[in-house]
Amino acid sequence: METLLWQVEQLPGLLAVSRSGQVRDWDPPTLDRALQWGRYFQHLHGRFRAQPRLRAALGQRLRRGQPGPPLGFGHLGRCPELLGLALLGNRALPPAACHRLLRSLLLPPSGQATPGPCSLGLLARRRAAVQLLPPPPSSAPARPEELEPPLRTEAQLLLSRLQEDEEGQGPEGVLEKLPGPRVYRVLAALLLLEQAGDNAGREGASWAEHREGAGPAAAVLSWLLGDPGRLSAFCRLLPGSLLVALSARYPQLGTSYLRLLTSWGNRLRFDPLRGQWVSSRCLSEDELSWEELRERFRCFMRGPAQLREAALASLKNLKTQDGDFEVCGLSVWTDLLLEIALTRNLLSSSPHLLCLCQL
Amino acid sequence: MAQDTAVPKLSFQYWLNKAVEWGQTTTLESQQDVCLHLPKLQEFLQQIYESLKHMNSTTAIQRFPLIGQLLGRLCWNPFVVGYDESQKTLMWCLCCLYSKEPQNPVELKANSWILSLLCHLLSSSEWGANKVGTGTFISALGYTSADYYSKLVKNIVLSLVTELKGNQFNGLNIQGRVSDDHVNVVSLFCIPLITLPDVTPLLEALLTYHGGRSQEVLSSEFLEAVNETFLKKKIALSESAILSLWLRHLPSLEKATLHLFERLISSQTSSLEEVACIIKDSLLPKAACHPAIFRIVDEIFKNALLETGGAPEVMTIIQMFTRCFVQAHQKDNKQHKFPLKAYFPHQHQPLVIALLKHPFDLSATLWSQHLKYITDMLKAIIEDKSIRTYADLFESWFLFVHFGEWADIAAEQLLKSEDESSDTFLWLLAFYYSPHNDKEKRTQILVEARAVYDRLMMLFSCTTLSVTDLQAAASTKTDKRQPCTKHLVRHLLISFLLFSSGGHKIAQEFISHVILASNTTNEVFGLLIRTAYRFNQLGLKNQRAVKQVNELLQELRFTD
Repeated sequence: METLLWQVEQLPGLLAVSRSGQVRDWDPPTLDRALQWGRYFQHLHGRFRAQPRLRAALGQRLRRGQPGPPLGFGHLGRCPELLGLALLGNRALPPAACHRLLRSLLLPPSGQATPGPCSLGLLARRRAAVQLLPPPPSSAPARPEELEPPLRTEAQLLLSRLQEDEEGQGPEGVLEKLPGPRVYRVLAALLLLEQAGDNAGREGASWAEHREGAGPAAAVLSWLLGDPGRLSAFCRLLPGSLLVALSARYPQLGTSYLRLLTSWGNRLRFDPLRGQWVSSRCLSEDELSWEELRERFRCFMRGPAQLREAALASLKNLKTQDGDFEVCGLSVWTDLLLEIALTRNLLSSSPHLLCLCQL
Repeated sequence: MAQDTAVPKLSFQYWLNKAVEWGQTTTLESQQDVCLHLPKLQEFLQQIYESLKHMNSTTAIQRFPLIGQLLGRLCWNPFVVGYDESQKTLMWCLCCLYSKEPQNPVELKANSWILSLLCHLLSSSEWGANKVGTGTFISALGYTSADYYSKLVKNIVLSLVTELKGNQFNGLNIQGRVSDDHVNVVSLFCIPLITLPDVTPLLEALLTYHGGRSQEVLSSEFLEAVNETFLKKKIALSESAILSLWLRHLPSLEKATLHLFERLISSQTSSLEEVACIIKDSLLPKAACHPAIFRIVDEIFKNALLETGGAPEVMTIIQMFTRCFVQAHQKDNKQHKFPLKAYFPHQHQPLVIALLKHPFDLSATLWSQHLKYITDMLKAIIEDKSIRTYADLFESWFLFVHFGEWADIAAEQLLKSEDESSDTFLWLLAFYYSPHNDKEKRTQILVEARAVYDRLMMLFSCTTLSVTDLQAAASTKTDKRQPCTKHLVRHLLISFLLFSSGGHKIAQEFISHVILASNTTNEVFGLLIRTAYRFNQLGLKNQRAVKQVNELLQELRFTD
């Protein structure tokens, strides 16, 4: 068992080397050995997939490895492709070893009509398919809930990565290592995906009664809500309509989002010279302009009744706290309510203006 | 190096020119051109690979100096890369060209170029032109481009299918987000991808899509390609998709019918159950429940019958097809089914209804009566001079051929029943084998048949017979017999051998001696498997005739 764990611990190192310049010393036998290791790890994955304890132990050992993307048990299964593709893209590999790599990776073994590892042929075919199949004619999806294929794919992969994690691990390990603003878009897509899968069998029961903390969506949400900086970046980056759609499904997010909007709104100051609300300093990550704030609340008004009521109640509350003024220019919340009421009056009196206001 | 001459220089130049041409323009015409040439190109690439795999890289370059250009251009053409197995062959060729000990900068450069081309194909370095972040993101998760593209293709197919279905709601055509031109383009671009399993839902959505225009929205190359792939069994589609394909593209339906026909003629089927299996497998009987399809298939069978001059094998195929069709029709529980007689609209309706009653659905005691009923109607049609034309006569006969099991029953009844209606049964058999317009000819055939039959009946109760006795009974004085009469006589003889007490003892000998000598194995075989099928379907097992048939068939199969 200890040998096994020791072997598995070598995988991160092996992958790191395969991407580095150290391969320039490799000769064909070394390459063969590396590929053999890859196949061996895949074999291990197949053997221990159904044994949770061993899986957890092996996963833990993998994480002990060198810094880099945190690996999990699932990576053992993908080892041949990971290794092969990494080596293929590594220009430091000397010609003799490279020649051997090409033969083992791509060519059919002699005497066989159909090659074994030609899932790479399938990869090339699928890549060509992606280039051939035309994207939908409308570039922006009609509803925010409809995910574009690339984004949907990234969300699915993230989801399966999170699901691969053994118990008690939590998503931080994976999520923290993911690059910048992109991760928020993918997380939003993931939350939409998960909810879509949920709807299948749960009518009637309220959200609170459901799986506490089970399922990656809940874990992701608590990760997001756990750090105010993270939440702020998340809400700042994504468009208002998407956030409202998410809030409809994840009420905790809705509450936190409203709170965030409140804190952003409170930072605005009225500039009497210009006659408008401006931010006290130049726009940073933490700030929202008046127009954006207004637009975000307008998205709430377009959302489902529950959210609309919550937003209105929140605004009324804030207005009262500020002194319950009816005049413009004194409280940002008064002004917002006035703007919103104006829009709604227009809407109720002439419904065709609805399209105008949704611009 | 004997493979050297396998790839002529001329075709290399041809394909290189084509590759250059395709790379220069992206018009619809040039893309259609690529799709047309994909199968031949794949063959050509296979040939190249066969030559290359025995050479080292230097020899390869000497032999095919322009191969780098060709492969490079082809690898950047997604139609070529996406087609069937072409991408594998391209990669194999590239591997063969990689030199393991580069001697000079040129070879080093060539190696580097090969690697970048492979990385481009497998996306292991760059990840799409505008998605710089995707690669890093996916790698950070620990996945490869293999995982990414496998899911991405499925998602793209899903979104396209949703769009196509979204245009049609409750059968109405809403002007949705997809225009007919767009659908046409999608169908063209799918042509290389037909055998990719991920794309099958899109194929089905396309095949069942009906645009706003009355003209065909899908590209005809697409429809042809799908049909070809389906007939070669390289792809599995739902029945409704195939039905839709055949309804909207006549050449595909014709090809499918001819393909079935060829399969039946060329395969060495040893029982009619196998034939029925092949027929059902083709999905044509079910499709034929749609009257338009039935009409086309029937026409094709009619032409086949005419071209082969009424060959008995073709007649058997038509009968088995009709049987499978009727069964499919009965199983079909759609509300607006056509009644069966509506499939034969120009025929005498009572006759159609009578013929649609299959012998297996009636008890054996009613067979004689039913046969008389059928024969009387046929006679009336044939001999009614006022409305009869040659075409009418042919149509009536063709109709009867569909249900030719009744002719077999007639032959059996001639020998087994004590009925006085041997005239009727002989007439029916004669009609089946030779529907002559000329009354004289008909009478002559009947007379001959009658003579043979009478002689056979005289030998019927003899328990010891010899081959020569039987031969004498069957022969004619003038020995100048019409071929159609010969068919009839053979049918009578086989029936005699099976059902008479003396006949079964000499059956084996008679068949091998006389019949095989006259080169009529196929016909005899055909008659025997029809009889075997009939016995199986009726559930008869232990009768002497049944065992006899099976033994004879065994012998024939053995000697074949």
